[in-house]
Amino acid sequence: MKKNILIIAITVLLFNCKNDTKQNNGKLNVVTTTSMITDLVKNIGGDHINIQGLMGSGVDPHLYKASEGDVTKLVNADVIFYNGLHLEGKLVEVFEKMGSNTKTPIELGAVLDKSQLIGSDYFASNYDPHVWFNIAFFKQFSNKVTVILSEKNPENANSFVKNEKLFLQKLEALEQNVLATIETLPKEKRILVTAHDAFNYFGKNYGFNVVGLQGLSTATEAGVQDVQKLAAFIIENKVKAIFVESSVPKRTIEALQAAVNSKGHDVVIGGTLFSDALGNAGTVEGTYVGMFEYNVNTIVNALK
Amino acid sequence: MNSAQIEIQLIASLVAIACAIPGTFLVLRKMAMISDAISHSILPGIVIGFFITQDLNSPLLILFAAFTGIITVVLVEYIQKTGLVKEDTAIGLVFPALFSIGVILIAKNANDVHLDVDAVLLGELAFAPFDRLLILGTDVGPKALWIIGVILLITITLLIAFFKELKVSTFDAGLAASLGFSPAIIHYGLMSVASVTTVGAFDAVGAILVVALMIAPAATAYLLTTDLKKMLSLAISFGVLSAISGYWFAHWLDASIAGSITTMLGLLFLLVYLFAPSKGVIAVMYREKQKRTEVSLLTFLLHLKNHNELEERHVNHLREHINWQKVRAKTVLELALKNNMIVVNESIVSLTQKGNTFTSKAIDYIITNEDAQIEDMKDDFFLFRG
Repeated sequence: MKKNILIIAITVLLFNCKNDTKQNNGKLNVVTTTSMITDLVKNIGGDHINIQGLMGSGVDPHLYKASEGDVTKLVNADVIFYNGLHLEGKLVEVFEKMGSNTKTPIELGAVLDKSQLIGSDYFASNYDPHVWFNIAFFKQFSNKVTVILSEKNPENANSFVKNEKLFLQKLEALEQNVLATIETLPKEKRILVTAHDAFNYFGKNYGFNVVGLQGLSTATEAGVQDVQKLAAFIIENKVKAIFVESSVPKRTIEALQAAVNSKGHDVVIGGTLFSDALGNAGTVEGTYVGMFEYNVNTIVNALK
Repeated sequence: MNSAQIEIQLIASLVAIACAIPGTFLVLRKMAMISDAISHSILPGIVIGFFITQDLNSPLLILFAAFTGIITVVLVEYIQKTGLVKEDTAIGLVFPALFSIGVILIAKNANDVHLDVDAVLLGELAFAPFDRLLILGTDVGPKALWIIGVILLITITLLIAFFKELKVSTFDAGLAASLGFSPAIIHYGLMSVASVTTVGAFDAVGAILVVALMIAPAATAYLLTTDLKKMLSLAISFGVLSAISGYWFAHWLDASIAGSITTMLGLLFLLVYLFAPSKGVIAVMYREKQKRTEVSLLTFLLHLKNHNELEERHVNHLREHINWQKVRAKTVLELALKNNMIVVNESIVSLTQKGNTFTSKAIDYIITNEDAQIEDMKDDFFLFRG
């Protein structure tokens, strides 16, 4: 037994002879979860904060698995912004337990008025967490982020407020663009069929009938009956196109397409929508505004 | 290196030790898959615990889970005792049954609650340092560290207290019974420890890692030794080594910690499987080759003994007569020369006195069909040892 303890001690020492590479340079360390929130905080914090996002492009927040590097990010974090409303699964629990520490985990979803949220049929106290598809909600998020950042880093508060104003203007312009684009699509053609129920807020705001093949969580699989029912619905409503999502495997939507086509109705895959994550950094779809416009254009062009 | 990184390595190492101890006995008793079975069969325990407490975060759920784990073990043991099925079949019968009871209970009564093994138990090693234990408002370390520490302490105490009983009942249940300790009680005790360890470790680090840490280090150690004490300490060392090297592998790749540790366990097993001194693939291949050469040597010596004609004993003709490839003929010739079994005089091979005795004895043994004696004889004549 003693020998083993010695071995453990030696191995720990051997592997740990590395220097700490924590960088601080006096800036506030901010950690964010989804890429939408990362983009939002980046817009407001600018160069005054160190920002690290946990979930990259194409990562499904329901199924996110922590990597070793995430531990260090969380340890060094001063403020953590997360969506909440159970979007990040187990991670939400971790953040809730962290509250007693020196870190400040902020659940952005908590600032929203619960009566405006879409409740789930199955869970009494659970809400649809895909709130970023309502631009008004996202404005509330940016307000909360500005308040918290200013509180934590008062020297740069002016800059944060200025950045927020710019970002809100961008969101305002986005809202106008989106409304204009959607106007061109006749009301009866506004049927959005996707892999999972991420677009309920989008649908509610812009008059789309949103049908997801899988439920709210991407962890569940679609059953054969779900596919058949949805295929019948598509034929009945003469839907022209259905959509794939970047963070959900194509397989189920392709099965749906095959089911519809086998009954003699032609349905195309209208493109890939960004639902739970933004596109790659550096591309237009890598920002919240770009992602939103891309989604709307893809949907409208395919359904016209 | 920050405190969270040290804590993760500490938790992983403690889990590795806590798993290696019951794991060694499980591997020896051919019940290694029981930990995997428990990971599924605890579902009904969690569901019933939830019905009673109505709270997903209640610690009572984990207690119920551990209790279902013990029920699994008892049922497996009972089915296996009938003698109609083997250990693995018994395990395979019990855990799907218990798991499906859990699934049905959820479907009937709790369809609108996020209730599964994942929601209640399965921890993530990376987040373990952030769930702190507070006593009177003071931070005393991660909760997982304490849970695993307590489990480990109990396991080690039981191991030291009942080591002799465990050893005897593992290898010879009949002897254990005649010596006065009940193998059944020891068995259930061990299985209960395994069950509690599994459930506790699930909560701290997740399922796959626990199953891997129970089985892989013990299986690796079993390739190297048959001594129980050595096997235990080797299993513990392998577990800890994989835990820590796996952590830094994850650090290097920025990947999942549990995944990297499991990969390390697999690599370690592969290395030992290839290079173990007696059971390793390479050692076995070497021994087989040695055996073939020995057989050739014997054939060669018999040939010499049976033929007095010079032409049959000429070095160059041996190849044609016994039909050997050149390389093998050379090896065998050299071996025989080295052992002073033959002398070569002007390309004519003759048996020495020693070679003659050796061959006569070998023939005797082959005729009387006592193969084991040939092995002893090899030692007597210092074959392959210069």
